Amino acid sequence: MIDYGLDLHGEMLLEEYCDKQPLFEELQRVVMEKLGALVRQSGIEVNSMESRIKAEGSLAGKLRLKGHKYASLLDITDIFGARIITFYNEDVDRIASMAEVLFEIDWDNSVDKRRMHQFDSFGYNSLHYICRLPEEQYYDPEKPELNKIRFELQMRTALQHVWSAIQHDIGYKSEIETPLEYHRNLSRLAGMLELADNEFSRIRNAIADYRRRAQSLVQSGQLEEVPLDLDTFRSYLDKRPFDRLNRKIAAITQAELHEAPWWPYLKVLRIIGMNTLGDVERLMRDNFDDAYQLALFQLGSTDIDILAETVGLQNLCIVHLLKTGGGRLSLDTINSKMPQNETLAEMVIEQASRLEFMNVKR
Amino acid sequence: MIFEINEQDGGYVATVSGRLDTPAAVKAQQEIAPLLENADKQITLDCKDLEYISSSGLRLFLTIRKEASSKGGKVIIEHINDEIKKVFMMTGFFNLFDIR
Repeated sequence: MIDYGLDLHGEMLLEEYCDKQPLFEELQRVVMEKLGALVRQSGIEVNSMESRIKAEGSLAGKLRLKGHKYASLLDITDIFGARIITFYNEDVDRIASMAEVLFEIDWDNSVDKRRMHQFDSFGYNSLHYICRLPEEQYYDPEKPELNKIRFELQMRTALQHVWSAIQHDIGYKSEIETPLEYHRNLSRLAGMLELADNEFSRIRNAIADYRRRAQSLVQSGQLEEVPLDLDTFRSYLDKRPFDRLNRKIAAITQAELHEAPWWPYLKVLRIIGMNTLGDVERLMRDNFDDAYQLALFQLGSTDIDILAETVGLQNLCIVHLLKTGGGRLSLDTINSKMPQNETLAEMVIEQASRLEFMNVKR
Repeated sequence: MIFEINEQDGGYVATVSGRLDTPAAVKAQQEIAPLLENADKQITLDCKDLEYISSSGLRLFLTIRKEASSKGGKVIIEHINDEIKKVFMMTGFFNLFDIR
């Protein structure tokens, strides 16, 4: 054993620590499994989950400084430590409340650093729980001591973590060790990151509100008020608005409709000037019959019995572009710019030229 | 043989030739097995000698695309003739592939 210059009590604690390494490793495995399952179940997206068992040298340093405070190894609460880093403040609280159900919390030794600051001071923000693994969660009759070991669970946001990691890297401890000027600069940054954390949460909540509002407008059919974007387009597609046209087109050759991604059409719809879901509804209403006629003209003489489920929307866009003078440009819009569009555009225009809608004077 | 497959630059190039009608597509199901097994890589379907494609042929292409999409690979279709381009266009599958 390395000589760390400990007194006899410290040496005994360190020896006990070495003997109990497998026990700490077992605790680490069980706790991280439980936490992982908990986070997965909750659906919270975390930045990271990490854990460590205190290194021998680090524990020896602690024992050298304040070994007399610990009667036994069980009094040291951070030999095993776990950390969950979230993206948002609220998720720290959610994970904390789940940890309260999962573990037995030693409230006397747990600390919420976020609430420890004065109103005019900023600094380390993190929630630290001192926990035990209760027997209801895990019990090994051969290792009953596992349920007696306390461990530390730290929960903080990614920004809080960055601040803490940089502060640690700089080697800053307190204003006694560091000139006040640096202390002030770090505090200013802590304040700024606290503000950023709050702002991220506010933006997330605002987006969630917007999505709920848009979804409810889509469900109630108030499409004129709903701007066309990825979220609203998804909600709109849930109502399967193109099914009737698709079924009509598929019936031409008794074709099956094959799954296909819709998202390329969001871009197309925006390019052709559809700004709200109301515009998309009008696109369908005004072009339904012509989109079908185009499909009939193209597919009527074939035996093709498989079509993409986006075929109806594709034809609506083509018809709209042809009617509004998009001509050759139409396929650049729909297929992205590629050399073969020229040939395809000629084909579509040639076919469409025989259809009624291309020969109506507007 | 409809699909002649060669390994090339870490990916696979399949030269597709002849008429990919229903009987040919049934036969070709066996031939595309190496492409499906290696669908995590880039697969190029060189169609310069492909004269015709039926619905069954389209289904074969879609099978390769689906496998590539689930395994993180990519399917490129090269040199298709104008008639086959029209088929891809009118069925709505043009956007589904990287057609060059």
